[in-house]
Amino acid sequence: MSFAGRTALITGGSRGIGKAITLKLASEGADVIINFLRRRSVAEATAEEVRAKGVKAHLIKANVGEPEEIDRMFDEVRDKFGKLDIFINNAASGVAKAALELDTRGWDWTMDINARAFLLCTQRAVKVMPRGGRIVAISSLGAKLAWPAYSAVGVSKAALEALTRYLAVECAPLGITVNAVAPGAVESEALKLYASQETLSRPDWKQTPAGRMITPEDIADLVLFLCSEHASMIVGQVIVIDGGVSLAPINL
Amino acid sequence: MASPVEAAITEIASKILRKEVDLTTVNNFKELGADSLDIIQIIVRVEDRFDIELLEEDLQNIKGVKDFVAYVERRIAEKNN
Repeated sequence: MSFAGRTALITGGSRGIGKAITLKLASEGADVIINFLRRRSVAEATAEEVRAKGVKAHLIKANVGEPEEIDRMFDEVRDKFGKLDIFINNAASGVAKAALELDTRGWDWTMDINARAFLLCTQRAVKVMPRGGRIVAISSLGAKLAWPAYSAVGVSKAALEALTRYLAVECAPLGITVNAVAPGAVESEALKLYASQETLSRPDWKQTPAGRMITPEDIADLVLFLCSEHASMIVGQVIVIDGGVSLAPINL
Repeated sequence: MASPVEAAITEIASKILRKEVDLTTVNNFKELGADSLDIIQIIVRVEDRFDIELLEEDLQNIKGVKDFVAYVERRIAEKNN
């Protein structure tokens, strides 16, 4: 499964799950464009890890919540690389509030970054994928469940999953597959914003039927498969990766 | 007389909060009606304006507006050294 000669853009690709995906694609030979929002030093460190694998790494600072910045990012992709083979919609944000406490600004902020950005980025990405490509969006089990303080993000991820289906049907004739992956809880900085202290302090909260919590690397493996030639007939699907926890939800 | 950095932060805060603000009259951004979403947007814009990184571990210890302005000035100085 070689990705040599392919170019991938990963939004939010310098940290957490995005970083694992970036490194996985680079390990398989892809040149990577890493979008980040704030920490240039962290993004530079990830880029160095990528370059150590013998492939190219390029950084683009942009807030995907702003349409003008998405345009600027894709202008840069077009001008510097000419084409794109893989687009990973990973960047995410959101306010941690119950639905009954959610205000319009918190709603807009979360929807703009998690759902609208996927639409706008995909519209631009297909224009630099003349010979087909792969698009994968990162969703969450929270798109179908109702976790405390997760309302804004959960709803935005539900929109992202619906968009995955609509975009997939429109992009399939262009040789571009669009899919999403929906992970269960992953131990990360982001999780600390949403999971309660009570949950995190329970000794069993990391358990899944498969015996352990999933890792960013597990998600990267699935994304890699969806980006490969082996997945050319998977179109518009949301693949759950959670160690079976959504089927036996003791700890959700 | 506001320093250039304080003037820039005032301009950014005014834009985010959609009203003219005077940072010299308040102790913290919350007194201006800012919530956590406003504050993160102010931080991101300040980082962009001065091409600096404001570190989470430092921001947690910031006590108010004056402290924040001083921290931003320190990060700018560190970048230039």
